[in-house]
Amino acid sequence: MLIKMENITKTYGSLVANDSVNLTLDKGEILAVVGENGAGKSTLMKILYGLEPMNSGRILINDREVEFRSPHDAIAHGIGMVQQHFMLFPPFTAAENIVYAHEPRKGMVFDRRKARQRTLELSRQYGLRIDPDAKVSQCPVGLQQRIEILKVLHQGVDIIIFDEPSAVLTPQEIDDLLQTIRDLKAKGKSIILITHKLNEVMATADRVMVMRSGSVVKEMACKDTSIDEMSFLMVGHQIRPREIEAVEKGRRCLDVRDLVLMGQGSKRVLDSLSLHVDEGEIVGIAGVSGNGQSELIQCITGLRRLSSGQVFIGDADVTNLSASQIRQSGCACIPEDRYLWGSASEATLAENCIMAHYNGNEKLMKRGIFRSKGVAEYAETMMKAYDVRYLSDRQEMHELSGGNAQKLIVAREMFQDSPLLLAAEPTRGIDIGAIDYIHGKLLDKRASGGSVLLISSELSEILELSDRIYVIYEGRIAGEFTRQSAKAEQIGLLMVGGKLND
Amino acid sequence: MNSLFVAAVINSTLRYSTPILFAALGSLYCTRCNVFNVALEGQMLAASFAAIVTNYFTHSVILSTMAAIGAGMLVALLVAVFQISLGVRDMVVGTSINLLVQSATSFLMQVIFGTRGTIQGNGMVALPKLSLKIGSLSFVNRMFESLSILDYLGYITAILVFLYLFKTVRGFHLRSVGISFEAAKSLGVKSQRIQFNSILVSGALCALGGLAQCMGMVTVFVENMTAGRGFIAMGAASMAQAHPIAAIFSSLFFGATISMSKTLQTYINSYFTESFPYFCTVIAMTIFGIIMIIRNKRKGIQKSA
Repeated sequence: MLIKMENITKTYGSLVANDSVNLTLDKGEILAVVGENGAGKSTLMKILYGLEPMNSGRILINDREVEFRSPHDAIAHGIGMVQQHFMLFPPFTAAENIVYAHEPRKGMVFDRRKARQRTLELSRQYGLRIDPDAKVSQCPVGLQQRIEILKVLHQGVDIIIFDEPSAVLTPQEIDDLLQTIRDLKAKGKSIILITHKLNEVMATADRVMVMRSGSVVKEMACKDTSIDEMSFLMVGHQIRPREIEAVEKGRRCLDVRDLVLMGQGSKRVLDSLSLHVDEGEIVGIAGVSGNGQSELIQCITGLRRLSSGQVFIGDADVTNLSASQIRQSGCACIPEDRYLWGSASEATLAENCIMAHYNGNEKLMKRGIFRSKGVAEYAETMMKAYDVRYLSDRQEMHELSGGNAQKLIVAREMFQDSPLLLAAEPTRGIDIGAIDYIHGKLLDKRASGGSVLLISSELSEILELSDRIYVIYEGRIAGEFTRQSAKAEQIGLLMVGGKLND
Repeated sequence: MNSLFVAAVINSTLRYSTPILFAALGSLYCTRCNVFNVALEGQMLAASFAAIVTNYFTHSVILSTMAAIGAGMLVALLVAVFQISLGVRDMVVGTSINLLVQSATSFLMQVIFGTRGTIQGNGMVALPKLSLKIGSLSFVNRMFESLSILDYLGYITAILVFLYLFKTVRGFHLRSVGISFEAAKSLGVKSQRIQFNSILVSGALCALGGLAQCMGMVTVFVENMTAGRGFIAMGAASMAQAHPIAAIFSSLFFGATISMSKTLQTYINSYFTESFPYFCTVIAMTIFGIIMIIRNKRKGIQKSA
């Protein structure tokens, strides 16, 4: 037994994050730890990696008890972690980042030549191609993750923890990553994979451990289980494939005509882009992130001025109006980055809940003064309705886990009850239960005659929900499909700039 | 214009830039690990005071130097404890410590010497002088006439700081803390200790600046004698983009403005000339800011709004 964690218990105040959890890992094995947000899997890994102290329990490595006070201790015992949020220094080169904290040196001097060599060596040994001199800031996300993996390998560890590694990757990058994980296993590394994407578990893991609200629900070999069983165990109830009913289309709700946005120099970030969404319709925009989706949202919501073109919401021309005017014209927006655009991380939950709600609502604000009782009740209704797990509405936003923060933002925008909803990556980084719930809400909106423009890098999400699908590539609409005509392969091809042959 | 006059102006530029250079190095050393040290002024002034008091009683350059460094680092320790260990805002810590040192030195002057204004005395020793003489070139000789060893040491220190920051592993870690405190910490680098220590180093560097000011050209302590040099140094460091070698040139620029203001005093009302260096600081920072914006635009770096 390589690692044995026994009766690990960890509490934060009154919240029990881990309740006497046991975990074992054998040499050369891939163990997947799955569970919803807040199930306690990240906490467990933080304890194993020395980032958090535990209240009770013990950790054995090769049958010897160890105590980790910092990641340093964990690394010294051969445990490395590829974190969900990359721990990289953007202005430094790949090689500098890879050898960080374990630099080759000549006396006091940092031996950069050897660092380069070492990088190339590792790169060859594990088949992970990288340019050692590339600045991290210029590497796409997939490469950045590769740098993270190489960094962990440079530390000479035998056990690698991957924390939600695919959350930020494109479909192609995910395939590469899964291959890398299997290769690492073949080279004798032992791996713990934290995820809530169950198809990744089936594709890589030997064994899976399902966690729910701080405890292990079940542990089993992957060959003895199925995605359905795992999701049942994770969520605690069955998730049924959804029946989507046909809805009568209504009038035009969003109309974008010949939208052009100039970038640096003469480059067009958005190029003569036209699209429309009708009432009772969910329209998906499929694309690899970075092809103009963010800018499109910013143009529609009034955060950026269009270079030319027009945007209509209903009959009203909202081109280049201010963000608040556009909101009042009936457009709510779930932004793609929940911390940068979606919330104020140092404000309280209640304050985040009532953003853009308090104007004209006498229960929340009267003559410019907030009514704290009304605010608290409103926030509670909102958060209860979307099952946000929180301790108090006075908590600050950044204290919520990512999934709960996302649910709060979705709740706030849904409560706007506006004719049009822009939903950008509405389910990024959240668990199946919550995804299912949010999908349901989007469909409810459609059923009640609302319009949704759904932007997602998760193709399966687009395919499942959308009545019509646009594919965006380099700021242009590369193709349009209806629900009936949509084929994943064709869309995937257009997403990477390919052409259809017929 | 008389060429020897030009040489004399260059000479005084070199002298005036020394305290700024040391303090600028102290400033950028902190900036590199993402600490904004506003107390440069206080660190310099405390060092000047300690140096002159020690000098007055012992007539020893070495003891005065040690006292200066000790005092500078002591003030820096105060800054570090409040700013790093207790997490008080940089502006609050810096401003209050600057004011504290200013009034504490005045107070101690009253207690020790029973006077206000200046401390000077017979038998106080100045820093050793080193006049660079090249043959009989009177221009060059005038340029380097009776510069103190600190005037030379400033440039050497700048090079040492450069080598430390960019060539050693420790310097690499220091800069990494400046880029991402959390990342450095999670990778087992003691981020907080690095920040703490860097403030102490800046205390020592500012102390040398304070020493150059009170025992370089003249050997005297005047109440609030730093007179905003610490803030000018901050400007010099930021104009140099926290690069030690570039800081040499930005410090020389600000040294030149001070030298100019002193020279012009003979011709123009001193109320105007006194403000000249600060005026130049604002102008220079504005021009510099505009250039940076243009350059970033060209490079196509645009922060997301």
